[in-house]
Amino acid sequence: MSAQIGEHNSFTNGSLLDGLPSVIAAAHELKSPLALIRQLSLTLEDCPFSAEEQKRMLKQISLTSESALRLTSDLTRSVRLSDALFKLEPINPKQLCEDIIHELTPFFSAHDCKVRLKSRKHPLLLIANRDLLRRIIMNFSDNALHYTEENTTVEIQIAALAGGKKVRLGVRDYGPALSMDVLNSLQSRLVDASTTIHARPQSSGLGLYIARQFADAMNGNIGVKRHRNGSTFYVDLQASNQLSLL
Amino acid sequence: MKNVSILVVEDDNWLSEQFARVLENAGYVVKTVSNALSAIEEIDDEQPDVVVLDVLLTGSTAFALLHELQSYGDTGSIPVILCTNLASELVLDDLKPYGVKKILDKTTMIPDDLIISVRSVLP
Repeated sequence: MSAQIGEHNSFTNGSLLDGLPSVIAAAHELKSPLALIRQLSLTLEDCPFSAEEQKRMLKQISLTSESALRLTSDLTRSVRLSDALFKLEPINPKQLCEDIIHELTPFFSAHDCKVRLKSRKHPLLLIANRDLLRRIIMNFSDNALHYTEENTTVEIQIAALAGGKKVRLGVRDYGPALSMDVLNSLQSRLVDASTTIHARPQSSGLGLYIARQFADAMNGNIGVKRHRNGSTFYVDLQASNQLSLL
Repeated sequence: MKNVSILVVEDDNWLSEQFARVLENAGYVVKTVSNALSAIEEIDDEQPDVVVLDVLLTGSTAFALLHELQSYGDTGSIPVILCTNLASELVLDDLKPYGVKKILDKTTMIPDDLIISVRSVLP
C-alpha cells in the first residue's frame, strides 16, 4: 500500500502535471473555475438562501468566469505569438500597474484581499508590448491572489535594476513559502521554454508557461523570489533609453 | 439530532465556502481550513465526524494528512471523503486503508452529492 500512496505522492508533488501538452494543461487549469461555477449555479437553481447570499454567489460566478476567460484569452494569444509581430514601445510601468490594480480591485475585494502598488513616483520607462505585459502582471496577480492569506495585501512592485538598464515588475504574495526543492526546480525550469512550470502542486503551470512566452517575445525574462512568508514572481524588461536621448 | 461536525479542507476559498453553504443548509456544523497543517490543528482541537478533503492542496498534500490521521488510534477512524478534480486518477480500494470512504469528482458532482456522501459515511 505504501507504494500506491507513493504513486499518489508522486503526482501530488507535481510529476503528473509536469510537461503536459498545453491542451491538457489548459483543460486541467480550467477545471477548477468551471467546477466552482457549476456548483454555484446548481445551488442557485434550488436556492433557499437570502437575497444577499444569492448576490454574493452571482458575484463569485461572474468573477470566476472572468478569471477563466482571461486564461483562455492568454492561451489564444500565446498560440498566435509566433505568427504576429508585437509592437514594443516605451511604457510607463506605473500607469500600466495602476490600470491593472483598478481592474483587479473588485476581484481582490471579493476575496477579502487588497492589491496595491509599490513604486517610486517616477519609475523608469520600460520597453514592452503593453498588452503582453499587462497579461503577465494579471497572471502573476491571479496567482498571488490564490495563494496569499485572507486580509493581506498583494503588492505590485516596480524597481530599477542593473544601474537603470532594466526594470523589474514583481507581484509579491503573502502565503505559504515555496520549499527550497520547488524553488530550485522552478528556477531551472523558468529558463527551459519547452515545459510548463508550476510553483504549487495543484497548478498545471500553464499561467507561468504563458507568462514566460510573453516575456520572451519582449526580450525579457521572468523569475521568482522566495520569502519567509510568500513569493514574488517578477518580469525583467529592458529600460527605455528614451531619457538618455534627450 | 446530534450536531454532526464536518471539517472541509479545501484551498479554493470560494469552493470551500460553497461546500460549507450546502452542508450547513443540510443541518451540519462545518469548519473550513485551507491546508493540511491547519486541518491537523483543527482535528487536534476538536475531532470532526467527517473530513471532506481536497487532494491537491497548497503545502502538504491530502496524502500527508491521510498518513497523519492513520498514525493515531482516535483519528484513524474518522471517515474521509476525497473531493477532487483528479477523481479519475484515484482508485477507492487503494485508499480505503487510509480512511477514505468516498471519492467525489468536483467536475461532475452535484451539490446534493456532498450531503448524500456525508450521510453514507456516518456510522
